[in-house]
Amino acid sequence: MGTLPRADFVFNNGAEIKTMDPAVATGSPEGRVINALFEGLLRSMPAGEPDSLGRIPMKPVARGMADRFTVNAEGTVYRFHIREDARWTNGDPVTATDFAWSWMRFLHPETASEYNYQLFYVRGAEKFNTVQLAVGDKVEVELADRKTPELFPRGTIRRGILRELILPPKEGSEDTGHKETGSADAVEAISGKAIFVVEFQNESSNTPATETIAYAVSADGSLAGIDELKQSYTGDYSLSNIQPCKHVLYDFNEVGIRVISSQDLEVTLNSATAFFPELVAFYPLHPVHRRCVEQYGARRFTKAENIVTNGPFRLKERRIRDRVRLIKNEHYWNAAEVELESIDVMSIQSETTSLNMYLTGQLDWDTTPPNTMIPVLKKRNDFVSTPFLASYFYRVNTAKPPLNNPLVRRALNLAIDKLSIVDNVVKGGQTPANSFVPPGMIGYEGYQGSGYDVKLARQLLAEAGYPNGKGLPQIEILYNTADSHRDIAEVIQQDWKKNLGINVVLRNLEWGSFLDSLRMGDYMVARSGWIGDYPDPNTFLDMFVTGGPNNQTNWGNVKYDNNIEMAKSEADPATRMQLFVEAETILMEEQAILPIYFYVSKNMVRPRIQGFHANLQDVHPLHLIKIRREGSAVDNSISEDTN
Amino acid sequence: MNQTPATTTDAQPDKLSKRTELQRLAEVMSEARTQQGVSLWSDGWKRLKHNRVSMISLWTLVVIVVLAIVTPALPLQSPIFQNVKQRELLPPEFKTFKLGIAEYDETLASKRQELKQMSTPDDRAALEAEIEGLEARHPINVYWNDPNFISQAMIEFRIFVFGDYCIPSICGTDKLGRDVLSRVCWGSRVSLACGLVATLVSLLIGVSYGAIAGYFGGRIDNIMMRIIDVAYSIPFIFIVIFIMSFLSAPAVSDTLRAYKINQITVFFLMIGAIYWLTMARVVRGQVLSLKNEQFIDAAKTIGTSQWGIIFKHLVPNVMGIVIVYLTLTIPAVIRFEAFLSFLGMGVQAPDISWGMLVNEGIQVITPIRIYWWMIIFSGFALALTLFSLNFLGDGVRDALDPKLKNR
Amino acid sequence: MQLLVFLLRRLGWMLITVWVVFTLSFFLMRAIPGGPLNGERVLSESVRAQLEQRYNLDDPLFVQYTTHLWNTICFDFGPSYKLQDFTVNEVLAQGFPVSAALGILGMTFAILLGMTAGVVSAVRRTSIYDFSFMLLATLGIAIPSFVLASMAIVLFVFYFQIFPAAGWGELKQIVLPAMCLGAPFAGYIARLTRTGMLEILSNDFIRTAYAKGLSTQTVILRHALRGSILPVVSYLGPACAGILTGSLVLEKIFAIPGMGSHFIEAALQRDFTLGMGALLTYTVLLYVMNTLVDLSYCIIDPRVVLE
Repeated sequence: MGTLPRADFVFNNGAEIKTMDPAVATGSPEGRVINALFEGLLRSMPAGEPDSLGRIPMKPVARGMADRFTVNAEGTVYRFHIREDARWTNGDPVTATDFAWSWMRFLHPETASEYNYQLFYVRGAEKFNTVQLAVGDKVEVELADRKTPELFPRGTIRRGILRELILPPKEGSEDTGHKETGSADAVEAISGKAIFVVEFQNESSNTPATETIAYAVSADGSLAGIDELKQSYTGDYSLSNIQPCKHVLYDFNEVGIRVISSQDLEVTLNSATAFFPELVAFYPLHPVHRRCVEQYGARRFTKAENIVTNGPFRLKERRIRDRVRLIKNEHYWNAAEVELESIDVMSIQSETTSLNMYLTGQLDWDTTPPNTMIPVLKKRNDFVSTPFLASYFYRVNTAKPPLNNPLVRRALNLAIDKLSIVDNVVKGGQTPANSFVPPGMIGYEGYQGSGYDVKLARQLLAEAGYPNGKGLPQIEILYNTADSHRDIAEVIQQDWKKNLGINVVLRNLEWGSFLDSLRMGDYMVARSGWIGDYPDPNTFLDMFVTGGPNNQTNWGNVKYDNNIEMAKSEADPATRMQLFVEAETILMEEQAILPIYFYVSKNMVRPRIQGFHANLQDVHPLHLIKIRREGSAVDNSISEDTN
Repeated sequence: MNQTPATTTDAQPDKLSKRTELQRLAEVMSEARTQQGVSLWSDGWKRLKHNRVSMISLWTLVVIVVLAIVTPALPLQSPIFQNVKQRELLPPEFKTFKLGIAEYDETLASKRQELKQMSTPDDRAALEAEIEGLEARHPINVYWNDPNFISQAMIEFRIFVFGDYCIPSICGTDKLGRDVLSRVCWGSRVSLACGLVATLVSLLIGVSYGAIAGYFGGRIDNIMMRIIDVAYSIPFIFIVIFIMSFLSAPAVSDTLRAYKINQITVFFLMIGAIYWLTMARVVRGQVLSLKNEQFIDAAKTIGTSQWGIIFKHLVPNVMGIVIVYLTLTIPAVIRFEAFLSFLGMGVQAPDISWGMLVNEGIQVITPIRIYWWMIIFSGFALALTLFSLNFLGDGVRDALDPKLKNR
Repeated sequence: MQLLVFLLRRLGWMLITVWVVFTLSFFLMRAIPGGPLNGERVLSESVRAQLEQRYNLDDPLFVQYTTHLWNTICFDFGPSYKLQDFTVNEVLAQGFPVSAALGILGMTFAILLGMTAGVVSAVRRTSIYDFSFMLLATLGIAIPSFVLASMAIVLFVFYFQIFPAAGWGELKQIVLPAMCLGAPFAGYIARLTRTGMLEILSNDFIRTAYAKGLSTQTVILRHALRGSILPVVSYLGPACAGILTGSLVLEKIFAIPGMGSHFIEAALQRDFTLGMGALLTYTVLLYVMNTLVDLSYCIIDPRVVLE
């Protein structure tokens, strides 16, 4: 039957988490669990006094796996020193190699992490991930001798120099295959349609001193498809001896992540990046234990009986759609300061049920109080609510007609009464959004969009060829199962029907399936939310570069990409902000997304819980939570009279 | 020797008996005319009438069904139009409420007048476009989600008779400002329609199946019954849920939409496909016992085809027991539809069903505020319908029970 | 010997039933494009090909069918399409004990409450007990369980604050859901028991028992109850089916992570392998319950012969 006594601290995470693997997770429910189980080099900790809205700034500090770090004068080289007593739960010490290996895994194209671009500030990282090779590059070849179908442990790695790159003929041209002396297109390189000619140094004192082998990437070890290439190529190189391999990648030793010693890791960036420490503290860069991953595989290493972690808590049990039980990790370097012995991370989808459980004492922290109750809850002492850096918007799949027409998208945006949604549906004091980046970032004025304008919307729709909505195919709004999202979707359904005459259907999926649908582009309009990972417009805007893994809208714009790229290395803050403003303007004018509102956090927290601070990202590290024993279990006090 | 006075006494009784004979025959004739044979139906109906509870249930159901049918013609507010700003979660109230359609129609009419007087083609085009827009966004389409032909006619009738007047929100409003009373009324249409259609489907399938199996007997009967035996062990409810998920896949729903098949229709058909099993078994039993009766022999002698015998003679005679099982099936179907809609697998927004309303009601029950009207009215409507069907069913069963005949 | 034949025949039919369900759901499942690879970000055809090989998705349909059938016979239901870190077996292994506990408790509650109410109603006929119990029974039958559950929550969780609101893990969290689950069946069982008891009580041997001087309690418990159990036992078959379907809704209301909520989520997410695994489990479960009911029927009533 599996009875479980209540843990010290119980909170509702809002949804069943999709995964516990830091390298592939993207959501905030996953983030809460991963930040408790794992720890990165740095940790975001409260630092400073609360601002006028009661928010405490969070800074990445060396209170993680690293106990100190240094930056060189230009801001391009970081050196992290890993503390001596950092341990994994199986007793192994945490070393710089763990980080280098985890970050390599994170960047590996086959892992397909959606956050991999966070490390692209590191020299060579983007090249490694996107496999943009040029002749003369140092490459690593993974031979086709993997023992398991999993990515890790990898097959034999041979490092050499790329001498030739043979690509299939470009589509529609009369080329019959050509040798490439520039860089290859990343997609072609991976899909097995290129031939890499690599030269290796011979280790032993053989003659010849080097050997040159031609490789083609092949998943199953066969060379099917290469024959076409062989036939079409009429160059002077003999293609009779092509070997299959798993990957030909940029040599990871050339990437700016270097293990100096077992306790020292050196990271070299392309250019000074002010928010790099924030990125290092962010959960996708938390390390994973190599032997554990290699032994059990990516899917199974997160099971409670297999997982090896290094954070303040360890995984005791995971019950699907019920809870994740965490218990204190005695091997944690700072275990003395962690007060909670056990935590239950509940995955209750229904907002009302979780509120009821909170009010009857079963939960200590509710992250999802229902919107209808907010006006009543606002008056209570245990309701913590501040604006934070997050945006609620609808992604639009710009590949699906009729949404491929920007006029249609703009009409849809203008026909939503966002003020009404904010005042009457979410009711938490949110701000209606006409741009993507939330206000409040120093130096960034952002994009001033126009608000609710039904007349213009109708005009645009007519211009697009659908006067009064006639002829427009049905539009489907996808959202992850939650009452608040459904209410907003229903209101927008009516707005579009009433104002534009469009028929809308709604579809909802559980969080994990929802993320999958987004990823695969299996939607028309999808509810989305994004929390800034650091206080800079880049965290919002770099999502939407062409083909970016977090883009998921099939939209792209070359000037936008250029702006974002230039901003990465732009030193002058004013120019940099200007680049962002231009980029956001492009994003908004082409309306790849429909902004709805800027978030205000809503948490219900028991008064006896200490260590819970409102902040700009609404993150609440679990190891800082302490429970004041004399408080009552249920405190329904309110600060003023209500009936 | 004494002589019996035969002649005189003989003549007297003759005359007497003739008269009484005639009288007697006349009396018998008049009795025969007034006294009718008691058929199963009239006997059953009479007994049902005496069952007070069943009659109340019957009348309740009649009222509910009639209300459901004429809902578009009733002066109700819109069931789907949201007004989050002003009307959110209002408790039951009696404030008057106006639809605003009259005003809209006036504006439309005046624009049309303008159009007649307009001469320049450019202005005409712009005004025509405007009028087209107004027509496309007419409140009737927005308030009632593009009603079909019949409903539209009823709604226009309602506007004609009642104008803008609406029954105030005597059942309160929900969290998006929609009137609960009209939602319950419109929801009844879906729930009851489902009950009817699905039951009809199960009736058609079950009766045909059982009649064929029972009539042909032998191998055919054996196989058909075996199929039913296996089908009985299959948990159909779970299969229907599994199939509903299959239907919601984009590939399938696109195909359905291409063939213009409504998803609701498929849904109703699926539910009907669950409940035919018992009906088939029961009908088969009846047919087995009836097929050896004389009237079947008679039909065979005059040359009625096999199918004619099955459908013209046997089936009407099993109707009694079929009706009894109908009264068991309809509430089960309505309850199952509510069940599926509650789980989110039945009808989808903006369509309404009682199960969906109960689901919405549960979501606003908290210790600090209980919006009781969200669940009481829809729950009550559902419970009342199920109650009435149950009691009526009990009554019909008792009424048609041949063992209780002529008591 | 007869028992063995009976059980074997039942087993045979069960296998046929399960096979029918399996075939039906397998072909439905394969009619939808996509599968466990939906979650994988499709990088390249080569990676996809490799994974398809792992899941046998590139084999012809017939081969897939037989492989899957064989796996199912060996109780390996495959990976879940949507819960990517879990196999169907793991999910069902977690959910089944929870649903079983809920179902058993609900059934026990239904039987105990129902029979007690029925007996008291029959013995104290036309009294206030009879009237109120039968009224409650009818209410329980007609009101759907989800409406009943919401009222129970308002009453027992918010107003009287006896029970916790939702969730699973402690004993007190199981009581209210079990009661709501069993309530409709308690009502039905009460009615059946009452009818059965009334029939039995009108028999001569009961009169004899009273005449012998036995107390009411002994008469009822020792003599009358046995006969009146029969209609209840024959109802247990459909009651089990009802409890299993009822738990789907209650697990949602009370946030209980049982097999029912996994099945519903599987249906909503189109997680077909999990849905099929749960479906087959339900089929087997119901079949076994029905067989047990038939068996117990003939144990209780020696006149009944196993056929």
